[in-house]
Amino acid sequence: MTLSTNRNRLLMQILTGEVWPALGDRHAYRTDADGAPFVLPGMGGVTLGVHPGDDATGYAADHLEPGLSIRHREERANMALQFLTCVGNVVTVRTGPVAGAAGRVIGQHAYVLTDFAESDLQQMCTGDQVVVHAYGQGLKLTDHREIVVKNADPDLLDGLGITTGADGRLRVPVAARVPAEAVGAGTGMYSEYANTDLMGAYAGQGEDLSLGLEVLRIGDVVVLEDQDHRYGRGYRPGYTTIGVISTGHCRLFGHGPGPSTLLSGPTSAFDVVDDPGANLSNAFAAMGVSA
Amino acid sequence: MNAPTLLAINALGIVEHPGLDGNPYLTDADGRPYVPTGEGGVVLGLHLGDSVFGFDADHASPAVSLIHPEQAARHALTAFACLGNRVTVRAGAAAGAVGAVLGKRGEQGRVLAWFPPDVLAQLVPGDVMVVRALGQGSRLPDPIAALGGQLLNVDPAVLPTLSVVIDGAGITAGVRGRVPSKLIGNGIGRPAHQWDLDLQVDATTAAAVGLEGLRLGDLVAVDDLDVRHNAGYRRGWVTVGVVVTTTSPRAGLGPGLMPIMCVPQQVIEVTSAPDDHVGVTAALLAQWGGVR
Repeated sequence: MTLSTNRNRLLMQILTGEVWPALGDRHAYRTDADGAPFVLPGMGGVTLGVHPGDDATGYAADHLEPGLSIRHREERANMALQFLTCVGNVVTVRTGPVAGAAGRVIGQHAYVLTDFAESDLQQMCTGDQVVVHAYGQGLKLTDHREIVVKNADPDLLDGLGITTGADGRLRVPVAARVPAEAVGAGTGMYSEYANTDLMGAYAGQGEDLSLGLEVLRIGDVVVLEDQDHRYGRGYRPGYTTIGVISTGHCRLFGHGPGPSTLLSGPTSAFDVVDDPGANLSNAFAAMGVSA
Repeated sequence: MNAPTLLAINALGIVEHPGLDGNPYLTDADGRPYVPTGEGGVVLGLHLGDSVFGFDADHASPAVSLIHPEQAARHALTAFACLGNRVTVRAGAAAGAVGAVLGKRGEQGRVLAWFPPDVLAQLVPGDVMVVRALGQGSRLPDPIAALGGQLLNVDPAVLPTLSVVIDGAGITAGVRGRVPSKLIGNGIGRPAHQWDLDLQVDATTAAAVGLEGLRLGDLVAVDDLDVRHNAGYRRGWVTVGVVVTTTSPRAGLGPGLMPIMCVPQQVIEVTSAPDDHVGVTAALLAQWGGVR
């Protein structure tokens, strides 16, 4: 059954941001789980060649942020941009050679992360200005009052095939199940900001680090078991959180591919079903990219 | 102990004043607003051995919070201060009094300095202190160090007075409880040399993991947790720490555990005493700090 929501009560707000540069410091190196130093790209700027549906791990990268990494220069405006933007929102380019191009938000990571066609990304650079059509915070599922919706464009949940099941529970197809042991950095932060790093996905490193999550893809819908993300993010037996993988490979220990939070509530309110096709790439194909 | 020569530094710490934003409310795990009390600065009425669940407070510590006004110096102060280090009050009504480092807290960084009650009663935010920081870089005996085992955040000289016995190739540790790594909240993925780990338990969930009797100063062991290069999940590694704050109402937070040791499981024998464990006490801190 199609979801019943309060979407007719929600308003769209037009926000601006810019492609933020990758950042470094004079010490250059960070260290991985084994104490080995690394200098690797991934955060900030325009990251090429990785889109929803592609492998999340297996790159020589740290905190891989696919596509554009967007911030606002002014701190309070930036927090509004980070908090109000939702996964699936349309982003349009205002400046540079591909002005007018449109993409969609795949998640937050202290930047708004946005996927564009590879041909557009190839021509974009740090400093390019964008408009974010922010729409979705405050969304409620009127038939699922115990479940709190976060960071979800109202069209996204339908696009991901999330429905009300015959038994009244929220039926959510997921590409992967994530045990509580995997939850890393991001715990304790508000669930409208950044994402939750998952450990156990250090492709190419030791077996003792693995929780089998090297198979994750960018855009995968995942279930986080025993996690309550309704008001912040934390471990709580009996609660379930649904997220979408918005970042990829990490070498920094305690970090990893991360889901942006979409839904959270009591485990009994969800009917989670395994579906390898539960990925943003399929939802975006259904939604199109025009505003 | 095969210890290298450890370097001591005198680091400046200023007693912190609590800070709040324009909106006094934080949000608890169930979405209810609350005003955080007891977080940082000088907190009275709280003692080593008190229940971490016994107060309607947020991350309160029985020790005063020390910071440095420059953020980089604040990180260094936090990184280098270790359990048991002597702290001397340099100015103010309690000038000349001594105490000892109980722990540290993360993000911007805070050192938690314990003082006897009569000294604590004279302290105010802004008081200047000297932390004789020593301990980072200390080594475990060769057989354990060769396997990668490490000490952190502890003056090795205080270890023999705790319920931790390091004997050649093996360690025995008496703790309040031994818990799985999935309980670790804030602090995971962060540098454990300058950031504590929150145990995600509250008064209603602690019994399920054997921590219903958790008290300030207790030692706790965490399985499958490696804190040597950031804190993260690694099968077969055990981290032992000291509880330095009460719990917090916020999701993902809880009593703060400062790690002091991280070793492979095969070299450590952990004994839990849920009812009668004794960890870091006021008497030990007084002894370490040289309180007369």
